[in-house]
Amino acid sequence: VGDKTDVWQGTLALMVLKTLETMGPQHGYGLARRIEQTSGDQLQLNYGTLYPALLKLEQEGYIRSRWGSSENNRRAKFYELTKAGQRQVRKAAAEWEQTTAILARFIAPAEEV
Amino acid sequence: MRRLRGILVRVASQLRGHRANDDFDAELESHIAMHTDDGMRTGLSLEEARRQALVRLGGADQTRQAWRERRGLPWIESPLRDLHYGVRTLRKHPGITAIAMLSIGLGIGANATIFSIVSRFVLRPAPVGSPSTLMSLRVRHEGSPCCDEFSLPLYTDFHEEAKSFSDVAAYFEVVPASISGSGEPERVWGQAVTPNFFSVLQLPMILGRGFVSGEENQPVILLGARLWQRRFHADPAIIGKTILLSGRTFTVVGIVPPGFHSVDQLLNGEFWVPLGNAAQLVPGLGNQTSREFTWLAVAARLKPDVTPEQASMEIQTLGKRLALAYPKAYKESSFVLEQAGTLPQGIKSQVLIFLTVLLVVVLLVLAIAGANVANLLFAQAATRQREMAVRLALGATRVRLCRQMLVESVLLGLGGGVLGTVLSLWATRSLSAFHLPIPVPVDLSVAVDGRVLLYAFVLSVFSGLLLGLPPAWAASRHTLVNAIKGEDALARPGRRRLTLRNFLTISQVAMTLVLLCPTLLFLRSLQGAARISIGFRPERLLTLSVDPRLHGYTAERTVQFLEELRSRAAVLPGVVSVDCTDYAPLSLGHRAESFHVNGAVETGNQEPIADLYMVTPSYFETMGIPLIAGLRFGEETATGPRIAVVNQAFAERLFHGQNPVGQQVIGAGVTYQIVGVSGNVRSRTLGEDIRPVLYRSLRQSVGGDPSLFGYTLLVHTAAESNAISEGVNRQVHALDPSIAIFNEETMEEHVRSAYFLPRLAATLFGVFGGIGLVLATIGLYGVMSYAVSRRTREIGIRMAVGAEPGMVERLVLHQGMVLTLIAIALGWPVAWMLAKLAASFLYGVQAHDALTFAAVPIFLAVIAFFACWVPARRAAMVDPVQALRAE
Repeated sequence: VGDKTDVWQGTLALMVLKTLETMGPQHGYGLARRIEQTSGDQLQLNYGTLYPALLKLEQEGYIRSRWGSSENNRRAKFYELTKAGQRQVRKAAAEWEQTTAILARFIAPAEEV
Repeated sequence: MRRLRGILVRVASQLRGHRANDDFDAELESHIAMHTDDGMRTGLSLEEARRQALVRLGGADQTRQAWRERRGLPWIESPLRDLHYGVRTLRKHPGITAIAMLSIGLGIGANATIFSIVSRFVLRPAPVGSPSTLMSLRVRHEGSPCCDEFSLPLYTDFHEEAKSFSDVAAYFEVVPASISGSGEPERVWGQAVTPNFFSVLQLPMILGRGFVSGEENQPVILLGARLWQRRFHADPAIIGKTILLSGRTFTVVGIVPPGFHSVDQLLNGEFWVPLGNAAQLVPGLGNQTSREFTWLAVAARLKPDVTPEQASMEIQTLGKRLALAYPKAYKESSFVLEQAGTLPQGIKSQVLIFLTVLLVVVLLVLAIAGANVANLLFAQAATRQREMAVRLALGATRVRLCRQMLVESVLLGLGGGVLGTVLSLWATRSLSAFHLPIPVPVDLSVAVDGRVLLYAFVLSVFSGLLLGLPPAWAASRHTLVNAIKGEDALARPGRRRLTLRNFLTISQVAMTLVLLCPTLLFLRSLQGAARISIGFRPERLLTLSVDPRLHGYTAERTVQFLEELRSRAAVLPGVVSVDCTDYAPLSLGHRAESFHVNGAVETGNQEPIADLYMVTPSYFETMGIPLIAGLRFGEETATGPRIAVVNQAFAERLFHGQNPVGQQVIGAGVTYQIVGVSGNVRSRTLGEDIRPVLYRSLRQSVGGDPSLFGYTLLVHTAAESNAISEGVNRQVHALDPSIAIFNEETMEEHVRSAYFLPRLAATLFGVFGGIGLVLATIGLYGVMSYAVSRRTREIGIRMAVGAEPGMVERLVLHQGMVLTLIAIALGWPVAWMLAKLAASFLYGVQAHDALTFAAVPIFLAVIAFFACWVPARRAAMVDPVQALRAE
């Protein structure tokens, strides 16, 4: 377990939360596909890593789950944001923007020189 | 916060079990199904679509594993599994487990028992509010042993002038009284205290109130909870009622909590009255306004921001000022400040040495037990090597295996700890049965408390870890291939001369030697103590005490009462003679005074101190003390010239062998005419050097110097003395039904409790030495048996090529005895050095007793010989054909 995964886990959580915010309730498979689509198919998600991340978010109270049926009438577990989750999306998104903005300042001047 | 919630949820799901797993299986199944649907929609076959779905998932099992680790707490789960596995392994070998737990249990039990003594007498804080800031004050006089109590004027000085304390209280520690009411009158002990006493102690009453200022001389009383329960059936309505104490009326104002008996935790006080009542309750108390009369213990509460050091400095300054004002009383005095409730200074160092020796001894017992268990675990580890190797091969890490084995040994330790605690519960109860041969009730009971439990727990875990570590490490050594092949590295003989197992055995036998030497010393000391001539005949003597003074008797009436009682008891059938004294010998001492010969020139030397006893005429016959010269007491009158009988030691010290009869001696301002010389007796303790003793006439002494502890009737009977007790009791109550009878026992019982110290030491060491010996014998036997069973094939080959059974036997015996002799050579000098510590507790035997130091090694060698001989016999009976075929 290295730093890479931690960063990845952190960003994956934000992706999941953001996707749930825009799409509404989603099941795991749908979330995975949606994240890939949103990334313009640049991300090759290992779907197996998604479930522990979902469990973590659920344990922390940002999302909740219930069983329902999918558009193809398959039984599936649907995840949706809680109130705390909605707050967390805004907070994490803001933090992320700030982080990338700072990083951008480091990277952009180097290109100019 | 969110993280905390996450952890809580995980802990909860850890406890909940497997249902959630099924739920996740269903979720995964639906994920794969949906992915497969999508795949088939792009034209793939069902199999191919499902295969790709699984690949993208990264494998269903791996996902499940990742999810499970996230769901619960893996770092809790796997130790739980270790625990489960550990319990199973231990149960699989009930024999080894039982022996190991019993060994550790004996060791921990011994340690917990001794530690409960330490906890009781050294660690336990005084039973008061914030004990750390409650100090006790005493006076130390240059050149005399520590310490003296305060006089009332000195207390007043401190109370008014010492700035380091928020308040200072004084109390007279032993006030005897008889309490009447329903049932037989009972003699009880209490304390007379300044009214601020309980507020200085910060001890609230459980019922009613404490004393308030202005109550110095009021007839009010606080009852101890036990007395309240015993005599008043814990009746809450007692508050405000009056009770009779030594014939005086007192109003009960409060009940003191059950945990409090005295600040020093030794005296067993049961009631408290304001100090002003002391003179009435204790007639002949002394002149309270005198600075010479030191009778008050002092408890002082430190101000919140004052350290004991600062307070100590202040009182030394105060002391210097007092020394200037009262040079006669305090010229060479200093003041001692220490935390209240700690052991009295005079006996502290002795007690600490004794306890240290005991702690070392019980740690030795535990170490011997530990060596046993370590050997057992080693043997077990050797047989489990194949299991370990297989688990290593399957990918378990070495740390993981060690942890597994450590969990097992810690479980053994904890099991032993539980057993040991149970043992120490029993042991402390029997220890509490020992009592001191003194008339003042002293609470010496010990019990297993929280500190003891914690100590036992830490010791169990620690010994478990220590025991498990070496075998765990050894067993998980990388000997993979060998082990799987069935050869085991730990058990291979003859590789290294000093294996760890041999080392353990040697240290075990050596420690046993170190333990057995003091054991035999103390047993010999008990024997020596029994040989000590006490100087009087304890058989067929009944003693019982009364204190008529507590019932308002004057001196004359007391003498009259005792005379009457003597003549009434003397005519009872079976009674030979009856006498009276103020104090039975061997009661740790009572009245003592320095004496000089009347008319002798002042030499400036220290005057010899003699113990004083009041006796009635036929005392010497009744006690069986020989009268060597002169007369006994006779028809002297109470107001006539004082006469005395002295013992030989007195005659030697003061008259240097000349006949003292007819001479006069002076002590405490009283002149005595010596009329006779008696044989020596042990006056205070068994072990003392013979002290000078002066016997004075009871009739002449009760008036001027009444006994604080009442008077003891000595009834000499023709046969066993117990049967007569009821008759004597009846005579006491026929004379005065309100008189309380106390300390009723036979003189033999009294002398037996005077053997307190040698008996306690011999009992403790006897038990610990015995345990150590048994453990070491088992250990040696175990090691040799194991060696033989491991070498069966070797022995078989030796015999097949012509070795005689006798030779094989000698081979094994030789190996065992070499270990034993090395151990004895190592242990003997250590025991020799440690014996010095025990010197001051021995009676009639030298610390370096030749018999002890010769007998113990021989004894140990003989025991070791038999422990090795049994396995050696077994080795000799090995059938070579069987042995070779078995492997």
